[in-house]
Amino acid sequence: MRSNIHVKDKVAIVGAGITLFRRRLLETPRELAWEAAKMALDNAGLTLKDIDCVVIGTAPDAFDGIHLNGEYLADGSGGFSKPTVRVYVGGGTGVMVPIAAWWHVASGHCKTVLAVAEEKMSPAHPHPQGVFAYIWDPILERPLGPNLIWIFAMEMRRYMHKCDAKKEDIALVSVKNKRNALDNPVAQAAANITVEDVLSSELLVWPVNRLDISPVSDGAAALVLASENMARRVTDSPVWVEGIGFTLDNTHWYNRELGFPRYVNYAARLAYKMAGIERPWKEIDVAEPYDPFDYKELHHIEGLMLARPCEAPRLLKEGWFNRSGELPTSPSGGLLGVGNPIAAAGLMKVAELFWQLRYEAGARQVKKPVHRGVAQAWGDLMQAGTVIVLGN
Amino acid sequence: MSWWKPRSHEDVIFYPGRQETEEYVYTPGIHGKQFAEALIKGKILGMKCGDKFIVPPTTFCPDFSEGELVEVDTEWTVQYYTEVYRDLYGNQLEEPVVMILVQPLGWEGGLIHYLKPGIKPEIGLRVRPVFKPEEERRGTIDDILYWEPY
Repeated sequence: MRSNIHVKDKVAIVGAGITLFRRRLLETPRELAWEAAKMALDNAGLTLKDIDCVVIGTAPDAFDGIHLNGEYLADGSGGFSKPTVRVYVGGGTGVMVPIAAWWHVASGHCKTVLAVAEEKMSPAHPHPQGVFAYIWDPILERPLGPNLIWIFAMEMRRYMHKCDAKKEDIALVSVKNKRNALDNPVAQAAANITVEDVLSSELLVWPVNRLDISPVSDGAAALVLASENMARRVTDSPVWVEGIGFTLDNTHWYNRELGFPRYVNYAARLAYKMAGIERPWKEIDVAEPYDPFDYKELHHIEGLMLARPCEAPRLLKEGWFNRSGELPTSPSGGLLGVGNPIAAAGLMKVAELFWQLRYEAGARQVKKPVHRGVAQAWGDLMQAGTVIVLGN
Repeated sequence: MSWWKPRSHEDVIFYPGRQETEEYVYTPGIHGKQFAEALIKGKILGMKCGDKFIVPPTTFCPDFSEGELVEVDTEWTVQYYTEVYRDLYGNQLEEPVVMILVQPLGWEGGLIHYLKPGIKPEIGLRVRPVFKPEEERRGTIDDILYWEPY
């Protein structure tokens, strides 16, 4: 069943680009944006003159340490003298960028869109975690000195309790993704590690150890999206945007079930409906769920309905989500392996699907034939879900 | 901050916010690094983009090609100016500061900086940079003290 959404134009991705993901890069944020954007344009065989509109994505200004970071990035993103907009939904921004680019084209407003996501987390000292201090309620929560890892530790614990999942089962995500990242030339945290390494790494906030978490990164990624006519003119293998969905859940994290990501589930249902997908666990061939923490990948796999609630840890152990498995997840290496420059990390996931669906992922190419993929990101105080379904 | 007048504290409970990011440490960028190194040597770099010359150098040209670093070898003139009477916090300055935008002749872009104190600004005024003593230069834009007419 296809949803009754009227679009003027089908939308395709025709090019992708990415920079190195590293802890601290020499490049300024706009130079990073430029490197990724230029690579995407070259990949699409287009020049900046061919681009009608620009969508920029970057998470809080406080990371780059530049207010109005979208405007600052505009020249490096090719946005001068063009309709340019910055979108921002926290960590969900990376997937919100191609969603916004989709509606620019689907509405008929633009024929070609350059979508750029950039994040430079290294400027904030002593640690970018300090930036997160201001996402909390100033009266009810901030005086307690919470940080992000605290609440995710609580969510992880809830998930472990609800699903009877062990830390060993969850650590396998980190092992898988870091290993996948060994084949990714831009990866920052690729490694061949064991479950034992994860469990014996430094304990940060129980039950979260250091290797359960993605690193702090600088980086950028970019896509070129085009209308159907334009896409068919520039490439023989466009990757279609078949469905998009985004939802905002309750801002208060204490009055909902932390064991199941409702924000992702609602967004996924919207995207699947648009794509005409009724049984995502069968119809999706490859997935890039958002994995800043290892349990989060399992959590999101369930939210995306690629596994039943609480079923993901068992499937993971059976190798279901490996690159050679039935439903490969994070073949790129994910945030755990490639790195987590927030907005750029989300867009990297969409770029990976683009390469997978064009069979251009090289050593990262999944074993099974691929027709459809889903990428997802999540942001804000655990409540923003953004989902995109691509097909070839 | 002179414009901020505290209210009565007695009937208000304050929830203090502490900025946890103590400082930002920025990287100069690819061209920016060489621009900074040139400042220490008392030179100003720009970039060549096709037949255009642009300052400051930003690594990428407006058309997204890669810019080529070149030294600015032409004379600079004042394009815009303004006089500042209060500082960032609203405090009266003893002497007004003249801010100028200087541009090399025939180039695009320009730099914002100070005019030498006591000089009357005018558009089109030919100026040159006056650098700090070499041992005090750090590769930042304030390695230039101000611009003076000649």
